[in-house]
Amino acid sequence: MSDEQKPVAPPAAPPGPPAKAPPKNPGMVTFTVDGREVIAKPGTNMVDAAKTVGVEIPFYCYHPRLSIAANCRMCLVEASNSPKLVPACQTAIGEGVAIKTATPKVKESQRAVMEFLLLNHPVDCAICDQAGECKLQDYYMRHDHKPSRLERVGGEGTSGMKVLRNKRKIIGPNVVLDQERCVLCTRCVRFMDEVAKEPQLGVFNRGSHEVIDVHPKYGALDNNYSGNVVDICPVGALLSRDFRFRARVWFLSAAPTVCTGCSNGCSVSADFMGQDVYRYRPRENEAINKSWMCDQGRPTYKAFHASRLLMPVIGKGADAREATNSEAVKYAAMKLKPLAGSVAFAVAPTVSNEDLMASFAFARDVLQSKTVYVTGRAPGAGDNFLMKADKNPNRKGLTWIAKGFGFELKTFADFTAALDKNAIKALYLVGSDVPEDAEVFAKRLAGVELVVAAAMHETPVTGAAHVQLPASSHIEDEGTFTQEAGITQRVRRAFPPRGESWPAWKWAVELGKELGGAAVYGTSREVFRTLAPQVAELKDYAWDKETPMNVKGQGNQTLPAGADGRPPGWREQGVPRIRGI
Amino acid sequence: MAHSPMTDHDDAYDPTPDNSELEAHLQTKNMVINLGPSHPAMHGTVRMRVELDGEILAKVDTEIGFLHRGFQKSCESVTWTQVIPYTDRLNYVSALMNNFGYLNAVEKLMGIEIPERAKYIRVIGAELHRIADHLTATGALGLELGAFAAFLYGIEARELVADRVTELTGARLTTNFGRIGGCNRDLPPGWIEKTIKTLDRTIELADEVGGLLTRNRIFTDRCRGTGVITTEDALDHGFTGPCLRACGVNYDIRKAKPYWVYDRMKFDVPLGKNGDNLDRYLCRVEEIKQSVSIVRQALEQIPPGPVILDDWRIVLPPKEEVYSTIEGVMAHFKLVMEGVQVPVGEVYDSTEAANGELGWYLRSNGSGRPYKVHVRAPGFHILSGVGKMIEGRMLADLIPTFDTINMIGGEVEQ
Amino acid sequence: MSTWALDQIQQHLPEALASRYHDRTGAEWAVVKRESIALVAAALKEKLGFKLFISMDSVDRLELPENTPRFEVVYFLFNIERNEHVRLKVLVPEDDCNVPTIRFVYQGANWAERLSWDFYGIHFTGHGDMRRILLYEEFKGHPLRKDYGLRERQPLIPERPIKDIFRGPGTNGTSA
Repeated sequence: MSDEQKPVAPPAAPPGPPAKAPPKNPGMVTFTVDGREVIAKPGTNMVDAAKTVGVEIPFYCYHPRLSIAANCRMCLVEASNSPKLVPACQTAIGEGVAIKTATPKVKESQRAVMEFLLLNHPVDCAICDQAGECKLQDYYMRHDHKPSRLERVGGEGTSGMKVLRNKRKIIGPNVVLDQERCVLCTRCVRFMDEVAKEPQLGVFNRGSHEVIDVHPKYGALDNNYSGNVVDICPVGALLSRDFRFRARVWFLSAAPTVCTGCSNGCSVSADFMGQDVYRYRPRENEAINKSWMCDQGRPTYKAFHASRLLMPVIGKGADAREATNSEAVKYAAMKLKPLAGSVAFAVAPTVSNEDLMASFAFARDVLQSKTVYVTGRAPGAGDNFLMKADKNPNRKGLTWIAKGFGFELKTFADFTAALDKNAIKALYLVGSDVPEDAEVFAKRLAGVELVVAAAMHETPVTGAAHVQLPASSHIEDEGTFTQEAGITQRVRRAFPPRGESWPAWKWAVELGKELGGAAVYGTSREVFRTLAPQVAELKDYAWDKETPMNVKGQGNQTLPAGADGRPPGWREQGVPRIRGI
Repeated sequence: MAHSPMTDHDDAYDPTPDNSELEAHLQTKNMVINLGPSHPAMHGTVRMRVELDGEILAKVDTEIGFLHRGFQKSCESVTWTQVIPYTDRLNYVSALMNNFGYLNAVEKLMGIEIPERAKYIRVIGAELHRIADHLTATGALGLELGAFAAFLYGIEARELVADRVTELTGARLTTNFGRIGGCNRDLPPGWIEKTIKTLDRTIELADEVGGLLTRNRIFTDRCRGTGVITTEDALDHGFTGPCLRACGVNYDIRKAKPYWVYDRMKFDVPLGKNGDNLDRYLCRVEEIKQSVSIVRQALEQIPPGPVILDDWRIVLPPKEEVYSTIEGVMAHFKLVMEGVQVPVGEVYDSTEAANGELGWYLRSNGSGRPYKVHVRAPGFHILSGVGKMIEGRMLADLIPTFDTINMIGGEVEQ
Repeated sequence: MSTWALDQIQQHLPEALASRYHDRTGAEWAVVKRESIALVAAALKEKLGFKLFISMDSVDRLELPENTPRFEVVYFLFNIERNEHVRLKVLVPEDDCNVPTIRFVYQGANWAERLSWDFYGIHFTGHGDMRRILLYEEFKGHPLRKDYGLRERQPLIPERPIKDIFRGPGTNGTSA
């Protein structure tokens, strides 16, 4: 008669959290920034997502291609799902969250962060290269425009007591470090660690004494990608030794072009003023170089100025004399005429596709050639990131064009063999780069009766030519280059050709005209439009539209660009250039 | 009764001579001559190609453009603050009015309010240059009708005003005074007393000029009834300022839409009746007196305080800060190299310059440089109406007409 | 700012106004359809009392974010009794650069339209006297356009023979 103990049901489980509402756009995250709706893929950084609706969140340490550090605290924003301000670069975007970037709390936070960053910042704007492209300057004017509250040492008008650290410390062959200007965003440290894979920089000490310095294990910042830390440093702490004190950035305008240091063809912007290029900066190109370039390619802009051949030279050795372009064309044509049919054609894969196509057309139609000797630069070191062993920027283009025009490619070994056998009577040479020593090669040319060379630089090779035709560089003309993976890129013209130089295609066209050829092209655009259809891989290339000259965001300069994309201050060639005007 | 230019004022002339039958055998042709750009009576290079029938202007073709200096295009490539020296050179006789008018428009576009003291300084500067402009105009009117002494008195008064302006701004003519957010310099010490003495002397000299001209028979005969324009035509062409008020239309921006501190000043606006040269002259003379009164009131009422805003996004920081703190040098840097960031938008704003409504249509694209600066020069529209004023009149009437409209080449041709 | 004038226009000529907006400073603007600008101007002058012609100018929007149609022509008129401005805007595309003239409504528009032609190349149909006003006739191009070549040079022109004025008795080349 015991009561049957019914098994007691376990106590009801407390109600769990409410079921999550399904996302508004399935597969994407929908949230609002300042009232504007943003629909982004999950995993997108909040800073990038806000940019798509035109909201600019300030940041120093965030970089889309580096890991997130969130140590600058500049990007703090108000989020509806958090009582505190959250760093936008670090916080994952959440469904239905309302982000506000312009409330008084956020504004005060931005102002306070700026104030703290500037407390120990040296008064260096007048001597710092970064002026004009400095994030501290830009964000100060936008988010904190208040005077300093640092206690002055000697009363009004004197400086405050700032923490002093190493200034202009040379830490590598290309980079100089100013530890006082550093805001410790650690972008450089993360870059060297993650992208260059050689952690040569590190943060040392603590608190106010924190500094960025070279890791004692490495001793110097000599990695092949050290120049990129100069680009990513938001302040003037890491500066390029090569560019230091050479130009103020607002006088420079940027032309999108391609680095011609090796066959990787990294997209760069060439910053120029007047007819001089001052530096290369990598341009974003997801396919080729992301936002980086190697140190070996950075100084290749110097080729635009150093030992340029600027006037045609007729004659060799003691009889060499300068001539005008038309004179040189007539002379070369006169000399080439009796030898037509037996003129060898040699080309270096360092010139643009338009130069190559016009030269090939000239060689095929006028010189009646069927074979082309390939010279070019000797191979060098390559690594597994951006630098390639083949140092010729347009080898792929040359291969395609030779195939399209029906030429047989002969190697440099064939070339030297033919020269040694004295089998070559006349030579039309485009580009003066040769894979062996220039002096040695010049001696080989001694036996050739007529050498007509269209080249950019004065080298012993051109010195051995009977007619030297000055060719302009790719920065002085519109053109294309094809890098080794087969991607063709447009290069834009920055300034007119220096001296009396003409683009190599123009020499080919003029010589052709003198020798009775029919080709008449006035611009490289016409060259491309007429001849590219003969090259299978180039005929569908959108020559006009690719890589437009960015009239609005011209480099870092704040001077307005004229209608052609250049600032109103630069002068035509030949007029004395006053720096900055 | 023969027509006589001396007695007939209101009817239009009948160019056909009376004895038409007698003269019919003379084959006459209207003579086309040039009142060329380089002519003492053509203030600031205006060319009039006139077709003369005897002394009568049958047709007048005004040609301008000899002083065009590309003001608008130049402004588009400099920062907002660097436009100020360009504006000096528009109406170069009263540069302060151009400066302040432009700054007024920019401040309106930005939506900022300048300090009280700055407003008073602007009123004082503008009125001083209005006095200078009117003195020049009336003096030159006397000069070209033969009264050289009146001109000298007018210029003497103008020199005194120029001295005061030099002490204030640093330059006699191209003042480059005023910045976005206020004035760049305060009144120098002792300036107020000197200015009051200058005003006293100016009134004396203006009375001398008036005494020599206003009741002078030759002067009034040449000016009364000549250069007449009807109110309709004046409004149609776009006349403003003394030229419009001489027709009887009571439109003065200082009273209609007061700006700065004009609403605290007591002054009258002189109005004419006939819209002829004499009325325009009398309006200007009276305006000199009114401007003197305004300056006196402003000098009395001017409060102490800052003359420029304290916001470093708009105004250059003080030099102690620039040389000793990073914030100061950064603000200075950005303001000088990039310019004041004016928000995107457009504005049309106008002030009452000496010749009329000086309007500014500014367009900003958000950067530190203007996208477009259009100046509505009062002289441009008045000059376009000159043809109407003197067609059918005698050649000699052209001279006082050109003087009383006070066309300044700089503002007409930008 | 008063919207009386634009309200009236909208009421009586609704198809003439394309849109209305107010700018940063709160002033009211009306975007008028190109073909009806003369109608609107006449209505403003005769019926609504906007007798004072203040100004007229053009803007080249090439470098602004919204740059089609390329040109804008802006008109400013004033009513003295009511102490009100009215601001009108006409959008002009680049390939069809014409606007009907309002010269016969307001005489002041004569020179102002010549100025727009001179600097921007906007032609005013019906004007009848469309020639350059501040620049010389042989000038090439329209300088205030944003794509005007600032670095290029104008061609040198030969001196004009003076044929349009009388140079004195016995001189050749005179004409009336």
